[in-house]
Amino acid sequence: MKKFITVLFVCFGLASYGQTTINPDTVCANAVGEQYFVTNTPTSTYNWTITGGGGVLQTGQGTNSITVDWGGVSGLYPNAVEVIESNANGCPGAPVLLDVFVLNLTGNAIGPFCEGDPTTPLVGNPAGGTWSGTGVVANSFQPSTGVGNYVLTYTLGGCNTTINVVVNNGPVTGPIQHF
Amino acid sequence: MKKVLTILFLLIGLTASSQCISNQSFTLTPVGPYQPGDVVTVDYTLGNFTGININWIHAFQINLGPGWTGLTPLLAPGNPAGSIGNWLWDLQNTYPGGFNFGPGWRFVNTGTAGWGTSSTGPFIMSFQVTVASVCTPDDLSISIEVFDDCTTGGWSNGGCCVDPAYNIYNGVIQIPPIITSNINHF
Repeated sequence: MKKFITVLFVCFGLASYGQTTINPDTVCANAVGEQYFVTNTPTSTYNWTITGGGGVLQTGQGTNSITVDWGGVSGLYPNAVEVIESNANGCPGAPVLLDVFVLNLTGNAIGPFCEGDPTTPLVGNPAGGTWSGTGVVANSFQPSTGVGNYVLTYTLGGCNTTINVVVNNGPVTGPIQHF
Repeated sequence: MKKVLTILFLLIGLTASSQCISNQSFTLTPVGPYQPGDVVTVDYTLGNFTGININWIHAFQINLGPGWTGLTPLLAPGNPAGSIGNWLWDLQNTYPGGFNFGPGWRFVNTGTAGWGTSSTGPFIMSFQVTVASVCTPDDLSISIEVFDDCTTGGWSNGGCCVDPAYNIYNGVIQIPPIITSNINHF
């Protein structure tokens, strides 16, 4: 019974408070509808300010939860999200701030390849992410996968970008003839 | 001779500074401390007023700190065995002699204007005040002053000109802290 109650409390706690965002927060470039929130006090109002990062507050001003669309310029934006809570008497509390890092991923173009070409490393910026897709092994592309058009995906910090890779037929050389 | 003069001066001094009021009491409902929006009922009793040199009681003035608002009379003082007239609630009144009074209750003698009442009490009254909806810890003091002939100018031979204000409450508005959680991102 004790265990059951403990589990219940843990679940309730998680449901009440949700996740905790680490400062700075990371968002993908050009992300839309990103939701930010603080714990709600029903009698309070909340004034949000979005600064830098191409961020635009879309919905929820005045409430404890908002959505924001972000721009495409990568970088760290200090105090990009700010909220000031005011109680029922209109008395403001201290500002609560969150830094935001806008992450804009790019992948270096490679190819076109021929089937017999050697394995080629894939490079993403910023480094540290993971490549995936047909023909990708250990963050490298293997043209030996075969002729075709491939979409390869670079993933980092919950964001991703893609590149297209083409593998063409190799020249067909006939047998050596002797005049 | 020196001794006689000293005693005479002492007697005169005692008479001049004698207090006519005694047996004061109060209750506050609820008791403090107070937050914005709290409504407080103040019950005040002056048990006895002894008018030295036919110095009759005239008025009860309520002194409030700036943190209070919404002063509302609930129960006017009685007038046991007193003169003909009634206690009038007034936010401000200037007596003929120029003395400014208010807010509070003042006695209007309908027999002889400006005489107050001969009643010696007890005087029981109550009023309500509300803590202002502000963001600063403003003063919430409450005191009551009793005025009489000598102060209002109705009787120049009175002996109660120095009755001190009776303190009922000292404190400031308790501003509850606003604690906002960290910003979270889904």
